[in-house]
Formats: sequence, structure tokens, C-alpha cells
Amino acid sequence: MLRLLWSKELKAGLYTWKSLAWLLVTSLIFSVTSYLMLTNRELSLLDQTEMLWLLSKVILSAALLVVVIDSSSLITSEFEQETIECLFLAPLTLKDFVLGKLAVSFTLWALVYLVAAPYVIVTSAGSQLTCAMLGYTALYGSLTVLGFTLLVFAVSFFYRSLRNTLTTSLTVLLASSISALFSSGLKRSAFARALGSINPLDNVFASLDNVLVDYQVSLGRNLSFLLPLVGFCAVMFGFLLLALRAFSRKGITKD
Amino acid sequence: MAEVISASHISKSYGDCKAVDDLSLSVQSGEFFGFLGPNGAGKTTTIRMLTGIMRPDAGTIHIDGHEVRNRQQLSRAIGVLSESRGFYGWMTGEEYLRFFAGLYGIADAERTVSSLLEEVGLGEHKRKTIGAYSRGMEQRLGLARALVNRPQILFLDEPTLGLDPQGQEDVQQLLRRLNQGGATVFYSSHLLHEVSRLCSMVAIINQGRLVATGTLDALERQTGSKDLQSVFFALTNP
Repeated sequence: MLRLLWSKELKAGLYTWKSLAWLLVTSLIFSVTSYLMLTNRELSLLDQTEMLWLLSKVILSAALLVVVIDSSSLITSEFEQETIECLFLAPLTLKDFVLGKLAVSFTLWALVYLVAAPYVIVTSAGSQLTCAMLGYTALYGSLTVLGFTLLVFAVSFFYRSLRNTLTTSLTVLLASSISALFSSGLKRSAFARALGSINPLDNVFASLDNVLVDYQVSLGRNLSFLLPLVGFCAVMFGFLLLALRAFSRKGITKD
Repeated sequence: MAEVISASHISKSYGDCKAVDDLSLSVQSGEFFGFLGPNGAGKTTTIRMLTGIMRPDAGTIHIDGHEVRNRQQLSRAIGVLSESRGFYGWMTGEEYLRFFAGLYGIADAERTVSSLLEEVGLGEHKRKTIGAYSRGMEQRLGLARALVNRPQILFLDEPTLGLDPQGQEDVQQLLRRLNQGGATVFYSSHLLHEVSRLCSMVAIINQGRLVATGTLDALERQTGSKDLQSVFFALTNP
């Protein structure tokens, strides 16, 4: 059943050119970023390690944005097109339904990662950081995609509408990246530090800085950054369970 | 005959509005059971509760001897043409049925899908995308989906809605054949002539309450009416 739902969503994405359009957009973003790194006077003067850190942030941000936007419609479209009732009249479990949709989000992330990989390989040539960058981007990308997709799915079950789900999910995603706008003075404040310790994206970017700029490549040296991210995924999983319980109680059709 | 659909004192409210109020009904195996009522009487809510799509606020429902709690077990026993008929417009009719046959784990999906499409008169249009289907064709496809697991209990909410007279006749004949083959049909419709032609038992719901149930003859005797239309008006506009 999982495979059936997964292939249905992929076919829908291919049929509407949605998935292909997203891949084209991310490819363009990576191309422009790489081009600027080589040609822009300030960017081209960056250390290679700094350049890699910047590129990894661009890759993860673009992937998250694409996955959050695309995943917002995965469940809500079933509500809005009124196909959810037919699906659940068949012997489909809620677990299969959610896992099938989750597999679609991860497929999109995997495709974005594949598009990004050549840029990573070319940009990191000669730095001996290629494997570390590819590995950590895959690890952090998968965990952040998991956390945010669980959030999107939970919100989808609560709202059952694309507009509300998209607005809420993007607001949370933007709120998570707000510390990027902090001045260096503000970043040293107690508030920013407290926020940074629990904010998944802050931890991901700090860990990538640790790996790519400070050469702290081993996983053990990055556990302190990894744990808040795992915690974020666990909290989002709990949130999804709550949403599913509410959905089961309310029934498939809205009261 | 065994009782295959049984609802006991079920109720459902939407906020302050009581959609179904203490409704009890029983359908025997092999019956063609007509379920009538004016708009907003609670027909669709009742069907949604009977098919496990919606939980009743009170009361119990048994389908084929099992309480409606295990939705998976229930869904293998029943076929439903519901009021909300969402379709994946980008799929062809054939792909759509194959998808649902896959969800049911039908072994010989290809043959099942082909024969169902022929049965509902969509054989020629099976490779068209559903987005290009007319309302009547969608209705036929919805009926084919309800039959994909060859259920012995069918819940049909307005199955001939949007069909032309020939389409209505085809669907009626198909349902009659299924009923003669042993299937129990729970049939909700506004078309009283259809109900009187097809149904062996009729129940009438009004303002969420079951106001009458019985054979057409019994209801005519009870209300002193000479046809189902008069029975319907006598019971829903007292």
C-alpha cells in the first residue's frame, strides 16, 4: 500500500510537472550560488571552507523550502479534492497513509540532494571535505526534512486546508531561520543563545560550520548539535500523533 | 435471513444541530433496502456512520456481525458509493480502478478492472483521463470503485445522480443483478420511482429520526396511501 500511494503521488507530481519544476528551481539556485562564488569579488575571496559552508546552507535551505511547500499539498489535497473518503473506505491504515506521503517528501529531498551533489563535488574539489560535506548534508538534510515534514503533516490533519497549512508551516520555517538576521552583537545575547540551543536550523548550521570550517569531522564532535535536531524530530512526531488522534476522533469527513 | 446491517440508537450532532437522533434500523441479508428522506434529513450522515467514515456520538453499529470499529475489516466487506465523489482527475479510469484494486490487494486486478469497466459501461473510455469525464461517467466510475472488491454489502448514496435515462436503466439493471446474486444493497435516493421499482424494504428518515420502515405495501397500508410518493409526503409533511 505504501508503494501504491508513493507511486500515485509521484505520477501526480510528474503529470502536473510540479516535481520537475521544483528540481529545476533548486538547480538554478545552486547554479547561481556557485557562479557567484566564482565571479563575485567578495564571494570569490572567501576561503574554500567558508564557501562550502555557505553552499551547504543554501542547499539545506532550498531543500527545506521545496519540501515544506510540496508536502503541504500532499495530505491537504486529499481533503480539498474530497478523495480522502474514498481512500479510507478502502482498507488503508492511517499509518500506511502517512508513511506513503512521507516517502514522497523524502523522494523529493533525495532528488534535490542528487541535483546538489555535483555542485558539492566541484566546489569542494581539493579540500578533502567532499565526503564530509556530502555525508553531513545528507544526515542533516534527512533529519530536518523529517522534522519539518512531520510538522507539515500534523498541521495538514488539523487544518485540512492547503492555504492554512502552507501559511503555518512556512511561518515556522521562517521563524526557525530568524536568527540568521541577528546582528553579531545580538547573537551573543542570552536570548539568542537560548534560542540557538533549541532551534534545529541554528544547530545544523553551527554543526556544518564545525565540520567544514573548523575541520571537526567526527560525529562525536557534533553530537551536541545533533541531539537538539533529534529532539525536534521527536517533538514533531509527538505533534503528529496528537493530530492523528484528533483526526481519528473527529472522523474522516469534517463535522 | 441473517441481519447484516444493524444500527442501534445511533445519534450524531454537528454543534447544536442534531443530524441523526436515536436512529435504529436493521437490514437483512440479500435485501434491497431503500433509504429515503428529504434534503438535510440525515441520510448521508447515517450512511457515513454505517460505513465507518464518521463515528456516532451515541449508539452502536454492527455490519455483518462485527461492530464498526475495525475499519479495515469493515472495508473488505462493504462497497460504498458515497456523496463526496472526489476523483484524481489526472488518472485514467483504468488507472484509478487499478489503484483501488491495489489498495484492496485484489489478486487478478487487470481482469477485475477490465470487467468492471465493461459492466458500468466505461470500457470505451477507460484510457481517458477522469478530468475529461462527464458527471455521469464519473458516477459510473464511482460505482465501479464501490464494486472493485466484489462486496456482499453495498451502500449507495444517490447512485443514479447525473445519469441520463439509459444510464439510470443500466445501473438499475446492474444493481438488480448484484442483488439477485446475493448482495445486500443499502440504497439512498431521492428518485421515488426508482426506489419503488428496486427496493424490497423502505425506511424513511425525517429531521434525523426514522419515521417509518417496512415493505412498500405495509407503508402504503400504514399511511392509507396508494404509492410511495404519497407515503413519502404523508410521513415527511405530517
